[in-house]
Amino acid sequence: MRKIIFQGLVVVLLFFATWLLLSQVNWVRVLRIKQMTQTTEEKLGELLWEIFRKSDKVMEDADVVQPLDSLLARICDGNGFDKDLLQLHVLKRDEVNAFALPNRTVVIYSGLIAACDNESELAGVIAHELAHIQLNHVMKKLIKEVGLSVIISATTGNTGADVMRELARVLSSSAYDRGLEREADRTALRYLEKAEIDPEGLATFLFKLSQEEPSVMKNLAWISTHPDTEERARNLMQKIDEMDLEPRPVLKPETWERLQAALSER
Amino acid sequence: MIIVGKFVYEPNEYETEKASNSYLMSVVAILAGLPMPIFNLVATLGFWAANRKSPYFVRWHCNQALLSQFSLLIMNGAGFWWTMTILFGSATITNYYLAYIATILLYNLGEFIVTVFSASKTRKGIHVQWWFYGTLTNLITSEKDKKPGYLKYGHYHGNAPSLNSTQNSESI
Repeated sequence: MRKIIFQGLVVVLLFFATWLLLSQVNWVRVLRIKQMTQTTEEKLGELLWEIFRKSDKVMEDADVVQPLDSLLARICDGNGFDKDLLQLHVLKRDEVNAFALPNRTVVIYSGLIAACDNESELAGVIAHELAHIQLNHVMKKLIKEVGLSVIISATTGNTGADVMRELARVLSSSAYDRGLEREADRTALRYLEKAEIDPEGLATFLFKLSQEEPSVMKNLAWISTHPDTEERARNLMQKIDEMDLEPRPVLKPETWERLQAALSER
Repeated sequence: MIIVGKFVYEPNEYETEKASNSYLMSVVAILAGLPMPIFNLVATLGFWAANRKSPYFVRWHCNQALLSQFSLLIMNGAGFWWTMTILFGSATITNYYLAYIATILLYNLGEFIVTVFSASKTRKGIHVQWWFYGTLTNLITSEKDKKPGYLKYGHYHGNAPSLNSTQNSESI
């Protein structure tokens, strides 16, 4: 009996030793898993952007695009991000919403820009969505909601339009985990601090929207997809109080006014 | 490690064929069991149900094949569910996951080779006893009716078999 126990233990140990030994190989790099993942994300992002692009008008006026581009450029410069790898699109829609796509793209609805009182609020939202991108929250959310098999099928063209629409809905209208939200908040604060942009904007924007009347909540999709806004705003304010900040404005007041005017006119 | 030798008695043609078939069934289970471990389970239960009243030589080799399938069932089952959590859950592909898949592939390949070898040897009436699994099989295979199939039906006039299943053995 002792012989069997000994042999059994050797078999089990041999199995785990083989596993441990093989774990020392960087299989993810050898098998180019990251490159494959990136290709999948790129493809998926492009397919999803096609859906959003067809459903709403893309705003391409210089008065709208340039200020947002300036805010994105400041955040990228301050944090060492390659701006060319990121995309920012504005869609004409009254809904207060912004979201990230898997291919490092941020989509902002004109309703959200209109709801911002100043550039720091808008920069806060952009930084928050960039944090979701940099922390790979977008794919985590999609995998959790629909599963990897559906995502792979979608990118290989083996799914119908309904599945793609569902993926688009998940990204634009469903909430992230609370843990992911808080992580994105903390990261966004760091981005704003490094970019020398007033981080209070993110907190005030969250707080402002959380105080809105229930009747207007139906248009505040960014709140429903980003839960616990009031509590998060308080947490952000606490952290901001501990920071040593010297914010510099990004946009001239007239540029901000032109942006708001362009949104209401067109 | 494999010990090749003579069995406690000389199995007849019917017994060697049936014992060899149990390994061939095991080969099929290995091929199907890596993507779908349920086949390992079906094979395991199938061996047990079909051969529990067979002659000692057949039962012994079916049990050895069964025990090895049971190990694969556990390994492949864990790999299967890990893969499912990646495909349908929130788990990601890591070095540990890929190393685990490589490990079970190696074990399945090793078991495949040993099983084919055992099937061919058993068909010739040569007793093949695997390290650990053979020892365990000696322990669990019932010693009652530890006699050839033809003796059970009254046609055998040889000596009664000893407790050790392997005689005049050599290791490979």
